[in-house]
Amino acid sequence: MNTNDILLAVLVLIGAPIIGCIASGIDRKITARLQGRVGPPLLQPYYDVKKLLSKDNMVVNPSQNFYVVVYLVFIVLSLLMLVFKQDFLMIIFVYTVASLALIVGGMSTGSPYARVGSSREIMAILSYEPVLILYALAIYLLTGTFKLTAVLDASSPMLMYTPLIFIAMIVVLNIKLKKSPFDYSTSHHGHQELVKGMTTEYGGPGFATIEIAHFYEYVFLTGLIFLFWASNPIIGVLLGIIAYLLIIVIDNITARVYWQWMLKLSWSVLLIISIVNIAFLYVSGVQLA
Amino acid sequence: MMENTVMLLIIVPILFSLLFVALPKSLYKYLAWAFFIIGVALSVNLVLDGTGVVQIGEPNFAMFENIVLVLEVLVILFILAVSAKYKNWPTLGLGIISAALFAYTFTNVPGAEGASFNIDQFSQIMILIVNIVGTAIILFATGYMDEYEEHRHLHRQKTFYFTMSFFLAAMNGLVMADTLGWLFLFWELTTLCSFVLISYNMDEEGINNGFRALALNLVGGIALSIGIILLATKYEISTLSGIGTYAGTDAAAMAAVALPVALLCIGGFAKSAQMPFQSWLLGAMVAPTPVSALLHSSTMVNAGVFLVVKLVPAFAGSSLGTAIAVYGSFTFVMCSALALSQRNAKRVLAYSTIANLGLIIASAGIGTPLAVAAAIMLILFHAISKALLFLCTGEIEHTIGSRDIEDMSGLINKAPLLTTLAALGMVSMLLPPFGVLLTKWVSMEAASSNPVVIVFLILGSALTTVYYAKWLGTILSSSMDKNAVPHKKPETYFPLSFLGLAIVATSIFVFSIYSYFIKPQVEILLKTAPVISGQAGQFTSEIGAFAYAAIFVVLALAVLIYLATKNMFTPRTTSYYMCGENNLEKDRLMFRNGLCSYEKSSVSNIYLQNTFGESKLTTLGYAISIILIVIALAGGVGL
Repeated sequence: MNTNDILLAVLVLIGAPIIGCIASGIDRKITARLQGRVGPPLLQPYYDVKKLLSKDNMVVNPSQNFYVVVYLVFIVLSLLMLVFKQDFLMIIFVYTVASLALIVGGMSTGSPYARVGSSREIMAILSYEPVLILYALAIYLLTGTFKLTAVLDASSPMLMYTPLIFIAMIVVLNIKLKKSPFDYSTSHHGHQELVKGMTTEYGGPGFATIEIAHFYEYVFLTGLIFLFWASNPIIGVLLGIIAYLLIIVIDNITARVYWQWMLKLSWSVLLIISIVNIAFLYVSGVQLA
Repeated sequence: MMENTVMLLIIVPILFSLLFVALPKSLYKYLAWAFFIIGVALSVNLVLDGTGVVQIGEPNFAMFENIVLVLEVLVILFILAVSAKYKNWPTLGLGIISAALFAYTFTNVPGAEGASFNIDQFSQIMILIVNIVGTAIILFATGYMDEYEEHRHLHRQKTFYFTMSFFLAAMNGLVMADTLGWLFLFWELTTLCSFVLISYNMDEEGINNGFRALALNLVGGIALSIGIILLATKYEISTLSGIGTYAGTDAAAMAAVALPVALLCIGGFAKSAQMPFQSWLLGAMVAPTPVSALLHSSTMVNAGVFLVVKLVPAFAGSSLGTAIAVYGSFTFVMCSALALSQRNAKRVLAYSTIANLGLIIASAGIGTPLAVAAAIMLILFHAISKALLFLCTGEIEHTIGSRDIEDMSGLINKAPLLTTLAALGMVSMLLPPFGVLLTKWVSMEAASSNPVVIVFLILGSALTTVYYAKWLGTILSSSMDKNAVPHKKPETYFPLSFLGLAIVATSIFVFSIYSYFIKPQVEILLKTAPVISGQAGQFTSEIGAFAYAAIFVVLALAVLIYLATKNMFTPRTTSYYMCGENNLEKDRLMFRNGLCSYEKSSVSNIYLQNTFGESKLTTLGYAISIILIVIALAGGVGL
C-alpha cells in the first residue's frame, strides 16, 4: 500500500457516491421526461438522503440497521476490489455478501411486504449469479487469470470475444438495478415510494444508508460493463454510460413481469448464450492480447 | 510414542462405549465431558507426534490379524442374522455376496506378513475432525437424548451411546489404517454402526431406512472388496499408500490399475451418499439429530471422500479422473437444486451435505495440486460447519417443536444465541471470508480448465446461495410473538458455541492450516505442491488471489460502524406497516378484512417445487449419475 493507492481509495470513497448520486438524478430526470413531466432537480437524490438522515430512526426490529451497514460496507469493498484489480471471482462473492445482507435485512423486519420483496430478490440471485460467474470464467479463459490486472492491461477490448456475455450482462444489470421489467422485489404498494418491497420497514438514517449504498452500487455495476472495453478507458466509460441509459429506457418502456418469467429467461436464454460464448472461448482458445 | 497414540485412538473410544453400557444414565454427562477432553487431547497428541508409518509385525500381528478375521466374520453374521430376522431379502442377498467375497479373500488371496497404519497430514486432519467434532456431538447428545426419548417413549440410550462411541473407534481405525484388509473391516464396522443408529427408533420407518443404508453401503462394500481382491491378486498391492506408489502419476501404470481404483471409488461414492446412492443419507434423517450430525459431518460420509482423495495419485490427470470430476460436480448441482425445493431443514442439510461431498469428489477428480488442496480443506471446513448446523437444527426442533423452515420465522426473538450460532453456520457455508467459501473459490478456479465441471459448479454455487439465503432470512426474521423459551443446558450450548468458535478460528488461521497440513499432504499425493504463495491473510494461486484477512477486517469494521452509529440515531421501535390496518391488540401480523374481523398474514419462501422438486429431479439424477458411473468404469477398463 503506497500513497498513490491510499489516494485512489479515498478518491473512490468520495467520488463514487457523487457519481452514483448524479446517475440516480439523471435516471429520475430522464424517467420524468419520458413520462412527460418536468422531473425533480438533478441533485434530488442528494436532498432525499440529506433529509432522510435528519429524520427519526424508526425501526421495527432494533438490529435491522446492522444488515444495512453490512450492505454498505461490502458494496464499498467490492467496488474497491474492482478498482484495485483484485480476483474477479472473489469480487463476485464479496458482492454476494452485500446482496444477501440487504435481503436478510428486509426479512429481519418480519414485515410481510418486506418478506415478499426479499424472497423475490432471492430468486433474482438465482437468475443473475450464474451469469456473473460465467463472466468471471470468460475473463479467466481470455487472460489466464481471474485477477483483473490482465484485462485492464490488455490492448484489445474484451467485447470482441464476449458479445453474448455482454448481452447477458446488460440483463443482469437490469435485474441488479431493480428496474422494470425486473423490479418486483421493490414493487411498491399503492404507488408510494416509501413502501418499497424489501425496504418497506426502513426509514430515516437506515434508508439513507441504503440509498448511499445504491450510489456505490451504480458505480460498481457500470464498472462491470466498463471492463468489456477497458483497453480504452474512454470507450469503456462510454460503454458503461450507454448501458446505464439503455436500462433507464428499458425501465420506462416495459412493464413488470412475474419473477417466474425472469427465472425462465435467465436459466434458458441468458445461461445458454453465456455458455455458448464460453464454449467458443474454450474451443478457439483465444487470448486477450 | 506414535504407536501408543494410534492404539489409544482405537481403544479409548471402545473403552468409553463399554463404560456407557456399564454405568448408569446419570453419569453420562460426565462421561461425555471426559470423552470430549480425552478425544481432544489424543487427537492433538497425534498431530504433535508427527507423521510416519506404524508397522505391526510379528508376534503381535498374528493376534491382531485373528481379531480382524473374527470381527469380519461377526459383522457378516450380524448382517445375515438381522436381515433374515426382518425378512429383508435384498440385504440378505447382498450379505451373502459379501460373505462369499470374504470367503474368497480368505482362501485365495495370499495373507500379508504385517499390517501398517499410515499417519500422514490428511489422517491427522481426519483424526482431529472425528475426535473433536465427534465427541462434541456425543456431548451434545447427553443434553438432547432424554427429551428425545421422552417424546417417543424409548429406553435405548445404552445402545445409542455404545454405538456412537464405537463408531468413533471404527472411524479412527479407518482413517489411519493403511492395510486394505484392515481398512475394509473398519469400513464395514461403520456401515454396521450406522445401520444400528439409523434404525434407533425401532419403528417401521426407522428399520426400513436402516436397511436401505445397510443395503446401499453393502453395495459399496462389495465394490470395495472386489477392488481390494483385484489389487491383491493382480498387482500384489495390499496397502492404500501402495496404490499411490504403484500408479505414481505415471500414465501407463495408472491405466493398469484403473479398474480396481474405479471400484474403490464406487465404494467411496456409496459411503458418501453420492447419487445414485443418496437415498440412504436422506433416510438417515429419521434417527435422532446427533446421529445425523455424526453421520453427516465427522464420520461415515467423510470416509468415502477420504478414500477418494487418498486415491488421487491413481487417477490424477487420467480420463478416469475427468469422469470422477464430472460425476462429482453433477451430484453437486443436482443435490443443490433438490435442496432448493425442500422445506424440511434436515433434508435441506442432507442435500447440502451430498452436494458438498460431490464438490469434494469433483475437486479430487480434477486432480491438480490446487484442486486436491481444496478437496482436503473442504472436508475440514464442511465437517465443522455441518456439525454445527445439524446440532442447531436439533436444538431448534426441541425449542419450537418443528423442523419445517417456515415455522422457524421469528426464531431470533425466541432463542437469540441459538439463532446466532445457526446463522453463523449458514453464513460459513456460503459467504466469504469463511473457509467453505474459500475452498469453493479454490476449487472453482482449479476447475476452470474443464468446461463441464465448471459450469456445473457455477450453477450449483448459485443454487447453494439461494437455499441457504432463504433459511437464513427466515430464522433472522423477527416476529412479535414470543412463545418458546430455550432451555439453556451447558452440555447443549457448549458444543454449539465451541463449533461456532472453531469455524471462526479455522477460517482465520486457514493459511497456517494450509501450510502445516494441506501442502505437505498434496506433495505426498501428487509429488508437487500447489502453486499457492502468500502469507497469513492472503491466498495467492497462479490464477487468482483471495485476501480473506481484508474481508475479516471489513466485517469487523461493519460491526464497529454499526455499534458506533447506533447511539447517534436513537432507534424508536414501531410496528409493521400493514397497509394501514394494524391490529395492535393481538398479533401484530394481522390484516382486517372486509367483514371487520382479523386475518393473520402469512408469507412463505419460494421453493420452486414444480421445477426442482424431488419428484421432478430424482429420476433424472439417478439416470445421469448411473450413466456417469458406467462411464467412469468404462474409462477404468480403458474402453
